[in-house]
Parts: sequence; C-alpha cells; structure tokens
Amino acid sequence: MNALAAIGEALVLIGTFFYFLSALGLIRMPDVYNRMQTSTKSATLGSLGVMVGVGIWALGTDFGSAAWLTKTVVIAVFLLLTNPISAHALIRAAYKSGIPLWEGSVVDKYREHIEAKAKAPEETPKEGGEE
Amino acid sequence: MLKRALAIISLLLIGYWIAQGLAGVPFGQDRMLVAQYYLDHVKEQTGAVNAVTAIVVNYRGFDTLGEVTVLFIASTGVGALLWRRKKQRTAKTEGSIVLTTGTRLLVPFVMLFGAYIFIHGHLTPGGGFPGGATIATAFLLLYMAFTTYEIPHKAFEKTEGAVGMAYVLVGLIGLAIGGYFLYDWIWQDWGFGVDNIGRLLSGGFIPIIYTIIGLKVGTELSGIIDNMLKEEVSK
Repeated sequence: MNALAAIGEALVLIGTFFYFLSALGLIRMPDVYNRMQTSTKSATLGSLGVMVGVGIWALGTDFGSAAWLTKTVVIAVFLLLTNPISAHALIRAAYKSGIPLWEGSVVDKYREHIEAKAKAPEETPKEGGEE
Repeated sequence: MLKRALAIISLLLIGYWIAQGLAGVPFGQDRMLVAQYYLDHVKEQTGAVNAVTAIVVNYRGFDTLGEVTVLFIASTGVGALLWRRKKQRTAKTEGSIVLTTGTRLLVPFVMLFGAYIFIHGHLTPGGGFPGGATIATAFLLLYMAFTTYEIPHKAFEKTEGAVGMAYVLVGLIGLAIGGYFLYDWIWQDWGFGVDNIGRLLSGGFIPIIYTIIGLKVGTELSGIIDNMLKEEVSK
C-alpha cells in the first residue's frame, strides 16, 4: 500500500519539477519557437507525471480506489494527444504570420521549401497562406 | 493621462466600497438559511446527488428555463444581425494535416465527453450547459480545422426548436399531473429510481431536462459559431 503512495509522490515530484523547467524555459529561451519547444514538451511530460502520479498515490491511501487512477489516466491520454497538436498549430500560425527566427538560427528549410514551391509552377499566384 | 488617473482612482474607490461591504460578511461560518434546507432534503425530494443541478433544475427550474430562453434569443439575435442573402465560408488557409487528422480523431471523443457531462448532470459536476458547450466546442474544432465544413443547418435548427419545446412540454406534463409548472412527476409521482440514488437511473427528470438542455445549448452555440464565421459573397 505504502509503496504505491511513495511511487505516486515521486511521480508528482518529477512532474512538478518538469513544470518548473517548462516555466523556466519560457523565460530563458530567445524566440517564440524555442519557447514553444521547451514549454510544450516539458509541460506535457510534467502533466503526465503529476496526473498518473496522483492516480497511483490515491491507490496507496485508504480512501483511494481504482476510479482515481482510471480518471487520471484518461485525462493524461487526452492531454498527451491534444497538447502536441495545439503546439503544432500555434507554431505554424506563428511562422505563417511572419515571426522571425532567432538571429542565431542557421537554417530555415521550410522557407526554402515554400519558395521552391512558389517558383516551380510560374502561373500559380504566390500566396502567403499556402502549404 | 488625467483620464486614466481618474479612472484608476474611481475604480479604487469602488473597490474599497465593495470590500467594506464584504467585510461584514462572515466567512466560513454556518449562516445558511435556505441552503441548509436544500442540503438536508435534496436526496429525498429530487433523487439527485448533485445539489447544484437539483437546485437549478428542480427547486428553481424557472431560472433555467429563462437561461435557455436567453441563449435562444442570443442565437436568434446573432442570426438576425448577421443576416445576408448569400453567405459562405471564405476561409483561405487550409489547416495542416496534423491539425485535420487530429481533429478527425478527437471530435468523436469530445462529443462523447459532452454527452457524458449532460447525461450525468445529477451525479457529477456539470450539467446541460457545460455539456452543450463541450459539444459546440467539437463543432468549433471542425470549423477551425476544415475550411469548407458547415453544420447541417436544417437539422440543427429543427433540433434546437424541438428540444426547446420538449423542455416546456416536460414542464406542462408536470402542470397536468402535479398542479404546477416544472413539477418533477418522474420522481414525485412515479418514484422512479428511489432505491437507486447515486446511480445513473435516478434523479427524477434532471437527466431528461439536462439532455434536452445539452442538445439545445450545443446546437445553439454551434449555430452562433456558424453565423459568425461566414461572410457575404457577391455573385
């Protein structure tokens, strides 16, 4: 019983640590893309740790039941599936609206790809919102 | 500058005034008069475990009917304000494939969760309004991810009207059976689910009303989204 509670506490601790790293990355990183990178990844991982940890922690206490773990695992799976999609949409929107990369960036393959695509068929009008 | 300073000063004065008024309110003490009655009698009188939904649907059902009417008027008002002869979605940027695939996968689960919320209104936090808003979120997701998606208008408008009438009809049946509007006939007269409190098949007519409200709110908010995302096109 107590081993479960200990595992849950450890998981919650790890999760909150990753939350902290996520907030730190939000302050520390130089541009939008780097900030999204750090904050999304570590916030997702931190949430997973906290949620699954709470479920396991509740199993170890005397009021806990499997319902806690079930609910937290369902929420964790939902977050695991939705968080990357939202991060993708945000970053893509940021790029499309012309937010520059950090000045230390060396390569921008996506811009090359867009320019190559706009150049190849001469007739098609160049448009910002195209794939 | 002067304007802003005046605004800040007046806001501070109002805030101080409200704080003075609230300072006399005891916090954390047992000062419930009507609420104590609700807490003591909610189970035997309504069959619901969730006291909030029991109050909202049973004890004060008229308020909920009024809220539903407000939403309906809002939906109609948006429709009337944004009325054009020929409207189409003119979105240009197609969503990326990650977004569309993710939406395709997620929408059924979001709708399922919305239905879960409004069906379990008498057991868990939530009820018809959050459930309906969740379902409308699924439609908003479809609108955002696909540039050509449109809700089936005819079916939505008919559903909206039909469930609105169903709510009034449930109230009128209560009027016929029990003598007053929105009388909970399923619980008070039939005693349906009396030995089943805390399970799904209990709660009198709360699950029925909340299913109605959930469908209504879901279709209404989706209709508002649809109206606001469309633009006039010239032929």
